[in-house]
Amino acid sequence: MNTISALFSILIFPAGLALILVGMLYEWVDRKLVARLQNRIGPRWFQPFADMLKLFAKEQISPGSANPLLFFGLPIMALSGALTAALYVPLMGRPVVHSFPGDLVVTIYLLSLLTMSMGVAGWNTSSRFSLIGATRGLTQMFAYEAPFLLALLGPALAAGSWQISEINAYSANHWMILTQPVGFVVALIGLMGKLELPPFDAPEAETEIVAGALTDYSGRGLAIFNMGKSVELVVGLTLMASFYLGGVDGILVFLIKTVALLLVMAVFQSLLTRLRIDQTVGIWWRFGAIMGLAQILIMILWRGWL
Amino acid sequence: MNTEQLLQQAETLLVAWNKESLRPDPTRLDAVITADDLRAATQAIHDANWGYLSAITGLDLGPEAGQMEALYHFCNGSAILTLRVRQSREAKAVVPSIAEIIPPASFFERELQEMLGFTISGLNNNNRLFLPDDWPEEVYPMRTDFKTAQAAPVPGRLADELPEEGVVGGNTFVVPIGPQHPALKEPGHFEFTVDGEIVTGARMRLGYAHRGIEKAAESRNWSQNLYLFERVCGICSHTHALAYSMGVEKLAQVEVPPRAQAIRELVAGLERVHSHLLWLGVAAHEAGFDTLFMYSWRDRETVMSLLEQITGNRVNYSANVLGGVKCEIGPEQAKAVKEGLNYLESRIRHYLEVVTTDVMFLNRTRGIGTISFDEAVKFGLLGPTARASGLVRDVRVEAPYGAYLRFPVSAVTETNGDLEARFVVRLKELLVSCFTMRTVVDNLPEGPLSVRVPRKIPAGEAISRLEAPRGELFYYLKSNGGENPARIHVRTPSLCNWVSVLEKAVGRQLADVPMLIAGMDPCFSCNDRMVTVARSGDRQNWSWEQLRQHGIEYYSR
Amino acid sequence: MKIGTMFKDVLESFFKKPATQIYPVEKVATSDRFRGKLVYNPAVCTGCCLCTKDCPSNAIELITLDRTAKRFVLKYHIDRCVYCGQCVTNCKFKCMSMSNEDWELAAIKKEAFEVYYGDDDDIKIWLEKLTGTNPLPGAVPISK
Repeated sequence: MNTISALFSILIFPAGLALILVGMLYEWVDRKLVARLQNRIGPRWFQPFADMLKLFAKEQISPGSANPLLFFGLPIMALSGALTAALYVPLMGRPVVHSFPGDLVVTIYLLSLLTMSMGVAGWNTSSRFSLIGATRGLTQMFAYEAPFLLALLGPALAAGSWQISEINAYSANHWMILTQPVGFVVALIGLMGKLELPPFDAPEAETEIVAGALTDYSGRGLAIFNMGKSVELVVGLTLMASFYLGGVDGILVFLIKTVALLLVMAVFQSLLTRLRIDQTVGIWWRFGAIMGLAQILIMILWRGWL
Repeated sequence: MNTEQLLQQAETLLVAWNKESLRPDPTRLDAVITADDLRAATQAIHDANWGYLSAITGLDLGPEAGQMEALYHFCNGSAILTLRVRQSREAKAVVPSIAEIIPPASFFERELQEMLGFTISGLNNNNRLFLPDDWPEEVYPMRTDFKTAQAAPVPGRLADELPEEGVVGGNTFVVPIGPQHPALKEPGHFEFTVDGEIVTGARMRLGYAHRGIEKAAESRNWSQNLYLFERVCGICSHTHALAYSMGVEKLAQVEVPPRAQAIRELVAGLERVHSHLLWLGVAAHEAGFDTLFMYSWRDRETVMSLLEQITGNRVNYSANVLGGVKCEIGPEQAKAVKEGLNYLESRIRHYLEVVTTDVMFLNRTRGIGTISFDEAVKFGLLGPTARASGLVRDVRVEAPYGAYLRFPVSAVTETNGDLEARFVVRLKELLVSCFTMRTVVDNLPEGPLSVRVPRKIPAGEAISRLEAPRGELFYYLKSNGGENPARIHVRTPSLCNWVSVLEKAVGRQLADVPMLIAGMDPCFSCNDRMVTVARSGDRQNWSWEQLRQHGIEYYSR
Repeated sequence: MKIGTMFKDVLESFFKKPATQIYPVEKVATSDRFRGKLVYNPAVCTGCCLCTKDCPSNAIELITLDRTAKRFVLKYHIDRCVYCGQCVTNCKFKCMSMSNEDWELAAIKKEAFEVYYGDDDDIKIWLEKLTGTNPLPGAVPISK
């Protein structure tokens, strides 16, 4: 493909700008679903866009003790990590923008780049809340990385490849939610932890530590972090849908499957109380990792028999 | 033992120090003692386990009389024993501290020092409690000759008392919360010293929302004050108005008609439902369970609209007038109340089930912040927080007033003393309330709604004690025979409960702290005195710093 | 020990109307007894001033233009009023009541918060007197 069309697909559609817009739309869907489950009305469709515009229009206040390079650079790093990770997943049902063997691992690590940027951003300022939020965020990341990776490994093993586009093609014929249910559950909960959605939102517990690691951010920096988070949401959902729910090969299929997943996540969000950070780590290192490993083991043995 | 016997017992206890015994009321005994004998007398009362210290009121008898008086109120069932200590106004008015014998007294004593200028000898913490840091020295706002011009702020003193912002040294650092924080509904300043996630110390500073209501009451007439005191708190407003009205009615020696008393009890019951549902939502929000928050506040709308139908407003009901109530309950209102109560009861049962069986919610509440029965007695806890530890402190049961003689309620207690027990106590209390309210509505006595109360209330003193949703509310009223009161002192329940929270916060995780605070249902508006216990490894004498909201609600009224 | 105890509520909410009211498009009707803006009927007033004596916030002033002819003007400060209803209770002649429909009282100009009740001509006379253009001999305002 020539440079122009490559740049177009990276920057405008389906990744890049279009992805940011779709991300915000998904954020709206999530908020609306949670609101309806709580018997409220919820925001209107343009709320996340309005929030972003408002944030861009506001002054950015940087704390005196923060390193300016880090302070202004970290949001950009976070967003770029998320956007780059999106290049390897089948966004909106279209073929992946770029693909190479082993890109599953790269995607996962690029997604972690966002969490790590938030962690460093929290450490960077002198606010106590940010430091606690950053610590909790990084602790939670250690808890979720392993089970999440294991859960994504299952379909990879089944498809016999580390390349997301091949796994996606394989899933079109095999619905792995049926063959690897335990792995699906681990992946779903792992995704909620990664995205810091309730009940795993201890890193940004509003009633305890104001806004966690991002307390000192305002204006553009905060807007960019939020965009990164919504992109991460879409990428995570796409990964889950393409691995477990029979692949995504068209925009309609993509929409239906990801919104269905989002609905399930919204139900979890509204039913469960926030877990304390020690409880999340405890539960997931004990049960999550074990269940993930068990699933892989079962799969390996099953294949061995076949 | 009935009230008369209790008072006789008290009189015998104090015979060695009592200079003069007065019986202003069948339920009250006043014993005049000197400042030197105060500690001995208090020790005797404490050792005999006669009641608990409910409040300490300070009175300024004026520059002509040259004296000030401190009243120490001990309550046992319906009996109230008041130790009266007089001291000279000019000569520093030294009174010994009784905080070593009765720890909660330090709160009240710091208020006496600050507001009236008593010198409490032996008190560990002499920091400002309600007044701001830049209040001038030696200016005592509750004195009768206080002029507002004296209160010009002294520059350069604000924030001096607060230690420097978290020093990161080793593994501990200080997390400041407030005066602005999303967790705080009212301003207050808390500092937690944490080691990782574990809280190792807590400090607090109150006084950010002091409104001077007690002083303002002295320049308004008795009827105007009814509405002033109603606004001490938004969520216990009816209880405050009721306590005030009952005090005035006692002074004026009028008998409120039974229909009015029953309607007062009905509105108080609805207010309790309102308050506890609000608290349930707030506590759930602190835990991170937003769904319970949304649903319980949705159901709160039902009770608010019931109150609107009966009294005319959703919050600050203004149902009382001096001598009775303003609002009639007709058949239409009665029907609406019963339907509303049926719906609310089923929802409350559902919430009780949620709170006691939801695994993830229990993870945040079971076994956390456990206060044993003995600790509850020692800290002087009140209200549902005390009842969750098995200590029955419920004025409606111990000293029934108004219509509670005719329509009694039973006290609900739990024994565990942890956060879960506090949830259970409050929700079960609501079920009892709903039952009682239905009985009241079905059996409203006939009669007039109010009785006339004169404009000039005869001279005297009155004490009224009520059970607010958060615990015992104590009002002391003094009249000099005029149209305006001479002194009104309010001691709200949340004040006494703070101590327990601070004590229990140390050693727990930072994430548990909001729940601990929410568990005692702090009413920041009511909190007039917060004692801050500074805690940093060594136990000090009751100067707890509070965590979270410490709403200073109000300083001097 | 259950997990997700509020599942039934959450599921039902898909089939129920949301509990939020889209104010100001949807307005809930207030009950009959709701205490909104004060309404004064000068026709039955006798000028006893019991209402003004007990107002907790000095929100009402009764101006007597002519006591024997029963010409009164009531000046009502909407921003000071706490909507307690004590004046309504005190009045023996039922001149005062609180509207249950008029409660959206926010305004952007301060002038909107001072309301005069009375006969139109009386109000005009009083306002002119205040501004000094047409002094009325013998009229004594009762102010707090």
